[in-house]
Amino acid sequence: MDFRVLLASLIDGLMLGFVYGLAAMGLTLIWGVMRVINLAHGPIIALGMFGVYLLFIHGGVNPYLGLLIVAFLGLLFGILIYALAVHRVLTAPHLSTLLATFSVNMMIIGVGTALFTTTPRNIDISLGRLVFGPVVLLGTRLVAVLAAVFITAALYLFLYRTTLGKMVRAVASNRAAAELMGIPSSRVLALSFGLGTMLAAAAGGLIATFFPFTILSGGTYELKSFVICVLGGLGNPTGALVGGLILGALEGLIPTFMPVSYVPVIEFLLFVLLLLLRPQGLFGER
Amino acid sequence: MAILEVRDLSSGYGEVQILWDLSFQLESGRLTTLIGANGSGKTTTLRAVMGLIRPWRGAIFFDGQDITMLPPYRKAAMGLIMVPEGRQLFADMTVMENLEMGAVTGRARPRFRQNLDRVFDLFPRLKERRNQKAGTLSGGEQQMLAIARALMAEPQVLFLDEPSLGLSPLLVLNLFEVIRRLKTEGLTMLLVEQNVHLALAISDYAYVLSGGRIELEGKARDVAQDDRVRKAYLGL
Repeated sequence: MDFRVLLASLIDGLMLGFVYGLAAMGLTLIWGVMRVINLAHGPIIALGMFGVYLLFIHGGVNPYLGLLIVAFLGLLFGILIYALAVHRVLTAPHLSTLLATFSVNMMIIGVGTALFTTTPRNIDISLGRLVFGPVVLLGTRLVAVLAAVFITAALYLFLYRTTLGKMVRAVASNRAAAELMGIPSSRVLALSFGLGTMLAAAAGGLIATFFPFTILSGGTYELKSFVICVLGGLGNPTGALVGGLILGALEGLIPTFMPVSYVPVIEFLLFVLLLLLRPQGLFGER
Repeated sequence: MAILEVRDLSSGYGEVQILWDLSFQLESGRLTTLIGANGSGKTTTLRAVMGLIRPWRGAIFFDGQDITMLPPYRKAAMGLIMVPEGRQLFADMTVMENLEMGAVTGRARPRFRQNLDRVFDLFPRLKERRNQKAGTLSGGEQQMLAIARALMAEPQVLFLDEPSLGLSPLLVLNLFEVIRRLKTEGLTMLLVEQNVHLALAISDYAYVLSGGRIELEGKARDVAQDDRVRKAYLGL
């Protein structure tokens, strides 16, 4: 095996891993704050892809400017989903929130398929490439990495340095106590759900700049997000990023040893093993 | 003057009624205690007044306003603050962050600095440990933090639910010293305690709860002399 090929594949995979991590962070944030598994995660990623695409194709909006718009719309959409579907079943058993978010999933997929069909789309942009020996860094992926790092840092600053972010953590830690201290917990939960969907939509928008997609593509990334969350420990944003990098590295390296169709097999084998042996995640405390 | 007045309050969990037409009031600046056996409805009373569970019937007036159906956060914003049973801290946040979360309401925010100095003066240990996670504190320190966090909220009325639970005898005495000090400073408080003897000793007024009903009320000194109370709760 050529070391140079290995290195190139690894770096390629790691770059993707940042974006996977970003998507998983959305899932893990919502779980961490309100113990809801958002089964509409995948379709929201797909909506992020379509948002950037439609703004680019029909409005001529630069995809990276489009990403900002899509992130904001993702926030509003998440707040709407929370208000309509999640809030009323939040204190019910987990099955209810799973069904509620799964219904949202079905609605997005249904309407999305009707509107956009399942013909693959892609956003045709190139930001050139940087070449270091065997390693080729595509401009779009490099920007996606920077965007993912920037968004992660912003999320951390928000959660640990702002009063509103601390309120999110307080509600996550103990909702009743937060409410007793004067924190409007329902509004904080709605915002947190919005942030989770914002992260998913932003990740989708970034993925759309380098992979073709359909309205169904989100499902793949939703499954990856689950694997990543289990790797990093559900509810742990840093874990999500590291889990994303691990998964990205695997996706880069596995095809150099065996057919690419084995990638999901290995990923889910890992998923099952982790659930059996270390359900709190590689770095999880709880 | 009564700052908090509860009239004919009924409430419970699911189909089970716990509180039956409960009426009581808190006089401004006084320490009132609510005592009663396990399961008599003390904690449920506090939870219903705060809005953590829904009042079924009856009315709650705070500072002259009807607050019966307000959610807990709105009541907190008005200065009705509860230190819940079992501390209920934000365990994975630091001491300082817990205190900040105590002071998020509009009435508390402008007085953040003064209140912080006040609670650090009251509990110097918290100042030493301000960057430590709340969950890593000892039981006594956690109780201090729970009270400190509530004081950061600039309470007009403070509910203390079983603050001595799980504390060593020495720490219980320290705790009651703090409560006494808050009382001298003029804070209106409602104390729910299993330690009936101490609670009656420092309170001005007492309500005795039994089976979700007020069985007896009066000056704490008189209630402590009541035969039924002496038999049932003081073991005399």
